[in-house]
Amino acid sequence: MPVQSLQNTDVIVLQHAPHPLLPFLQSQSQTTLTRLYQRPSSCLSIFRLLGPIERQLIMNLLWLESALSAATMSAWVLPEGKNAYDSALSVMTGLHIAQNSTVKLALNPTFKSSLRQAITGGGNTGSFGVPADKDSKRQSANIENLDAYALERWETILHYMVSSGQGQNPAKPSQGVLYLLQRSGLMNNAHGAVLQITSSGFQFLLHSPHDQLWNLLLQYLHMAEERQMDLVEVLSFLFMLSTMDLGRVRQIQYDCEYSTEPLSETQKAMLEDLRDYGLVWQRKTSSKRFSPTRLATTLTSSSPPLPSSHSTGGSRTADGTGAVALSSGAAQQGFIVLETNYRIYAYTDNPLQTAVLNLFITMKYRFPNLVVGMLTRESVRKALGNGISADQIISYLTTHAHPQMRKNNPLLPVTVQDQIRLWELERNRLKSAEGYLYKDFASQADYEYVLAYAKQLDVVLWENAAKRCFFGTLEGHANVRGFIERRTESV
Amino acid sequence: MEKASHLSVIVDLSPTQWHLSAQTSNQHPLSVETFLSQLLAFLNAHIASKHENSLVVFGALPGKSVMLYSPTELLSDDVPSLDANSYLPFKLVDSTVVQRIMNEFDAIGELKEEPPCALVGAVTKALCYINRITHPSSTTAGVAEDPSVIHDPRILILSVSPDLSSSYIPIMNAIFSAQKLKVTIDVCKVYGPDTVFLQQAAHLTNGSYIYLERRDALLQYLIMSFLSPTPIRKILAVPKQDKIDFRAACFCHKNIVDIGFVCSVCLSIFCQPLPVCSTCRTKFPINTLKRLNAARPTITPANSRIGLPLANLNNTASPRPTPTPPNGMSSLR
Repeated sequence: MPVQSLQNTDVIVLQHAPHPLLPFLQSQSQTTLTRLYQRPSSCLSIFRLLGPIERQLIMNLLWLESALSAATMSAWVLPEGKNAYDSALSVMTGLHIAQNSTVKLALNPTFKSSLRQAITGGGNTGSFGVPADKDSKRQSANIENLDAYALERWETILHYMVSSGQGQNPAKPSQGVLYLLQRSGLMNNAHGAVLQITSSGFQFLLHSPHDQLWNLLLQYLHMAEERQMDLVEVLSFLFMLSTMDLGRVRQIQYDCEYSTEPLSETQKAMLEDLRDYGLVWQRKTSSKRFSPTRLATTLTSSSPPLPSSHSTGGSRTADGTGAVALSSGAAQQGFIVLETNYRIYAYTDNPLQTAVLNLFITMKYRFPNLVVGMLTRESVRKALGNGISADQIISYLTTHAHPQMRKNNPLLPVTVQDQIRLWELERNRLKSAEGYLYKDFASQADYEYVLAYAKQLDVVLWENAAKRCFFGTLEGHANVRGFIERRTESV
Repeated sequence: MEKASHLSVIVDLSPTQWHLSAQTSNQHPLSVETFLSQLLAFLNAHIASKHENSLVVFGALPGKSVMLYSPTELLSDDVPSLDANSYLPFKLVDSTVVQRIMNEFDAIGELKEEPPCALVGAVTKALCYINRITHPSSTTAGVAEDPSVIHDPRILILSVSPDLSSSYIPIMNAIFSAQKLKVTIDVCKVYGPDTVFLQQAAHLTNGSYIYLERRDALLQYLIMSFLSPTPIRKILAVPKQDKIDFRAACFCHKNIVDIGFVCSVCLSIFCQPLPVCSTCRTKFPINTLKRLNAARPTITPANSRIGLPLANLNNTASPRPTPTPPNGMSSLR
């Protein structure tokens, strides 16, 4: 039977990690969330960010008018799915989508009516973006231009980060972006006025564009809270962007510009920031219309947010709506060939990808469309020193492996994977800990008495009975010291 | 990462059956308009679940089957304009499906006699479509873990017409292709009597067959039973039928038979013993024929329900060569 053979993949499917935005939403108050749920586009986007079981449960409850008893719903749950079901319910109550009750199950009425409206259409909330009037004089940007714009913006940011430590002077992103990078701890200016990439910044570079984007947006949301921006407006604007259309349905292209008129002041201010990140495009800063780019419209999906960024993949179809067209897209992302002799061939002419590779390989040759390098102990240790972990290197190589490599099983040569991990272990031979050394005890009995007390507190890191000394942690010092003082007084 | 899922919906659009279904003499009359509005909400719910979920809608009309919606092909002339109050992909599905159905209904016009609905044609088209998207073109061959490849294709048949016994062999063949492609076939019987073949289709592909009892609650039935992709069905159960009618149709008169006679060479099914198999031309000894004829029950309860223990024809209906020498026909008994 076909289903049995699927069992292995199911485990992966159900251990689907929650979206990074969900914890942030859960930390918000119920009133904030309820205000957010008033907009159908927000409900639809949040619905898409949830896990598969939550989504099915919401759908089951969506069209019911009255509350369902919790027992009725749990009767549908198979015994092996009990844990998954319970955690799904707790996510839903955490987001105030389901009402918190152990007896009855019902959706938050605001969420319910908005999601219904999203699915059936209608209403007059205008939450999916008010289209701009047709402008016959100027042609709106086409998809290729939008993609190029988004890519250029995004790579400027990444390229600035990756080359900040190397004394090059790449194009600087805008002040707002720099501030955001600094706030998020991806870069800092510890050594003078020049911004330097931090170890978390190096890790950030190896993530997928989708993760990077959400990472920055989350930071933006935290900042918005401090800047006294209305979080509901910020979030609903992001969600609105994610449900907007790029401007092409199948082969037909049509104007997809949205009007800025109905936006609030906060959202107009956001427009400026998002323009810097490459999420939206405007002809002029004063323009009354804007177009979302692919970075924005794929926020709630897992399709690649950026068009393939190297020239060999240029033939990728731009149609994001067709699954058939999409299936060829992801494969072309890969460009790295790794051999068992630690050699890396990267078929790319993209300076950003070259720079990211340069983080952990030693470059040998560069050709117009090919970079050849070696994974060496020095290069990997340099990367590890920058805070990149061995797993991150391996996962970067895996996700960007050339289609040719995908025929191999395992994908990366085992020797190379093991060696990268060994190089990481090598660094961990020495552990450092801050603390205090206690020595010169008057008698062996004194020493043993204090040591026993310190061991009770679990603060001993090292001891040497022959030299009558031991090393305790920083946290335990006050206690140990007090103990010794009390003892010397009493004697 | 969670995989995208594909759903092909096949809508049975037999005008006669829908007319009967809308009659107020039914306990829960359901007109085709109400049906469509609930179906569209279901289709939107599928697209809403995940950005990459793909959807194709086929219609089975009298004598032909048509594609009503596909994300990659342009089927309707006008592209809906942007609207601040609705999500564009939803609007696109709704307007395309409705417009296509209206066009097809208009094209039917006045018919003296309605030809049967081309359900098999629609199922076959759906299978072809799934085959196309699950096996992408040769340029990307060898890619092991392409995230956008569809992993969990499903077909949902919304049936209103009764069984068409002449389509037994094509339906069985479609079921076997579905098994091979690992496609789950779900069946929702919206109106009319239970259909034997669709029950078997759902059973053999691990799908679920549901007879709609409360037809005013169509949408809730659809969402609870047919929206969840296969991995979720391991956690939230979907109803399965407890009684399956495994009867087959004979190859000679296309009747659904309780007791059939199976050719020992090619496994063709007949409702009466034959001297020569009409499929593989095997001749059977006269003695066997006599014996079998004597053993035949006098009444052939063609319309009775299952319950006879001999009706288990599961899987034996696929004609295939067997190495046994032709030595006669064997009864199923």
